[in-house]
Amino acid sequence: MCLKVCKLSAKPEFIEAAKAGNILARKCTKCSEILLATVYYCRSCGSKEFEDTILKGTGKVVTYTIMTVPPAGFEELAPYAWVVMELDDSGIRVSGFLGKIPTPEDLPIETPVKITGFDERGIVLEKL
Amino acid sequence: MERESVCVLGGGSTKYGKLDDSISDITLQASVGAIESAGIEPKEIEAGYISNVFGVADKQVHLGPVVMSNLGISECPSLSIESACGSGSVSFREAFANVAAGFYDAVLVTGTEKVTHTGTDWTTTYFSYCSDFFYEGQAGASFPGLFASMARAYLHEFNATEEDLASVAVKNHENGVLNPKAHLRKKISIDDVMNSAVVASPLKLYDCCPFSDGASSVILCNEKFAKEHSKDYVKVIGSGRGGSPAALQGREQLTTIPSTKIAAAAAYKMAGITAKDVDFAEVHDCFTVAEVVDSEDLGFFEKGTGATAARNGETKLNGSISINPSGGLKSKGHPIGATGVGQVVEVYEQLTGKSGERTVNDAKIGLTQNFGATGASCAVHVFESV
Ligand SMILES: [Zn+2]
Repeated sequence: MCLKVCKLSAKPEFIEAAKAGNILARKCTKCSEILLATVYYCRSCGSKEFEDTILKGTGKVVTYTIMTVPPAGFEELAPYAWVVMELDDSGIRVSGFLGKIPTPEDLPIETPVKITGFDERGIVLEKL
Repeated sequence: MERESVCVLGGGSTKYGKLDDSISDITLQASVGAIESAGIEPKEIEAGYISNVFGVADKQVHLGPVVMSNLGISECPSLSIESACGSGSVSFREAFANVAAGFYDAVLVTGTEKVTHTGTDWTTTYFSYCSDFFYEGQAGASFPGLFASMARAYLHEFNATEEDLASVAVKNHENGVLNPKAHLRKKISIDDVMNSAVVASPLKLYDCCPFSDGASSVILCNEKFAKEHSKDYVKVIGSGRGGSPAALQGREQLTTIPSTKIAAAAAYKMAGITAKDVDFAEVHDCFTVAEVVDSEDLGFFEKGTGATAARNGETKLNGSISINPSGGLKSKGHPIGATGVGQVVEVYEQLTGKSGERTVNDAKIGLTQNFGATGASCAVHVFESV
C-alpha cells in the first residue's frame, strides 16, 4: 500500500495494525526517515510525502515502570508494567501495557517483548 | 528590538496544601497578596494572566473575569493559560513578553489550582490527561509511572542509586520545614523514603510531590513603574521556552529533558550569563529524579553526576548551588497551575530579603525552571537583584 500524501489522522489504521501485532509507520519518500503513522510532517525534512510501512511488533524493553497505584480503569489490573520498547528493525520506540508484572526481576531492561493487540489499555504487549 | 526592562514588583501566595476555600477565593487571596506587597492600587493593573489546569474540578473556569471583578477592575482584560504543570511559567512568560514589548506598564500574573477534594484516584486520572494520552495515559501510565520510567533509565545508565534519589526528597523537606507556606513541613530521612509505599517502581511515595491546592501571584511591570512604587523589586534578565516530543517514546534519551536545555540556553543567552553565575534555583522536582535531571539539563552538573551531587549535599541550602530553597514541589507542594508563579514568588522574596530562615546567603542571581507533563514544554527565567 502506498499513499503519496498520507491520511491526516491514521489512528484507526494504526489501531488495526496493532491488533494484528504490527506497527503502522510512515517512511519519508524524501529523506527515508521512519516515523509512527500518527505524525503528518517529517521531523527531519518537513515533507509530508510518505509510504506506509508495516513494522513487525517485536523488540526489546528500553525502560518501564510497574504501576501499583493505577489511574481509574486499571484498578483490577495492578501490578502491571507500562513499557517503552524499541522495535527490532527500525529503532522506532512505542509504549504500551504489559500485564502481570509484580517485580522488577520479572522484566529486566532489554527483555524481548512483542505487540499482541490494542484495546482500552492502548497497545498491549507480552514477553516473548 | 529595544525591550523594556521588566521587573517583579511584588509577590503573594496562599499556603500550599489542602485548602477549604474555593478556587476563585484562593486566586483572589494570592492576587491581593501580590498587589499589597507591590504597594499598588488594583486600578493600576492593565491586564491579568491566570494560569490554571483543572478549574473544571471546582466548577470555575474563565477565572480571569471573576478575579478582576472581585478586585474592582472588571473592565481589565484577562485570560487563562493551560500548559499542564508548566502553566504558571508559561503565563509568566506571556506577561513578560507583553510588558517587555511595551503593551502594558503593569500586569497581574496569578497561578491557581484546587484538586485535593477530588481524591487521589481521580486526581491521578485527571493528571494522566496531561500525557500524550494515546500512547501513555491510555495504556495505564500515571505521572509517577512516566517519571519512574525515566528514573529506571537513569539508574540503569549512570552510577546512581535509589538512595541518591531519596536524598533529594530529604533535602527539600529540610528546606520546606523553614517555609511557613509549605504543604509538607516535616523532616524525613533516607530510610523514610526507602520504606514508603511503592507508587510506580522504582519511585516510592516520598519520591513524589503531593497533590496540593494553592495560589501564587506576582506583579510584573516595567522598571519605570517599579521605581515609582517600591525599592523592593527584582529584574527579569532572562526568559526562555522550549519543547520536547510529547511522548517519552519519541525521545532519543530518557535521562534528559530537551525542552529544559532549549529554554535554559535561551534564558542564559538573554541574561548574558552561564549556569556558573546562578546563586540558587527553583526547579521542577515533581519527582526526585526530575530534580536530578533538571540540575544536569540546566548546566549545574555534568550529565550523570546530578544524583551524586545531591547525595554529597551540594544542592542543600547554601551548598555549592542552593536548589529549591523553598522546599520545591516535593515539600512546598505542587498546585499545578500555581507552581511556576510560586517559584517566582520565592525568587522575589529571596532577592528582596523576605525569605527568613531559608535565605540563600549573598544571592544576586536566581533561576526558575518549570515544565509541563514530562517536560514536553518548559520555561526558564533568570532574575537579578537591584
Ligand atoms: Zn523526511
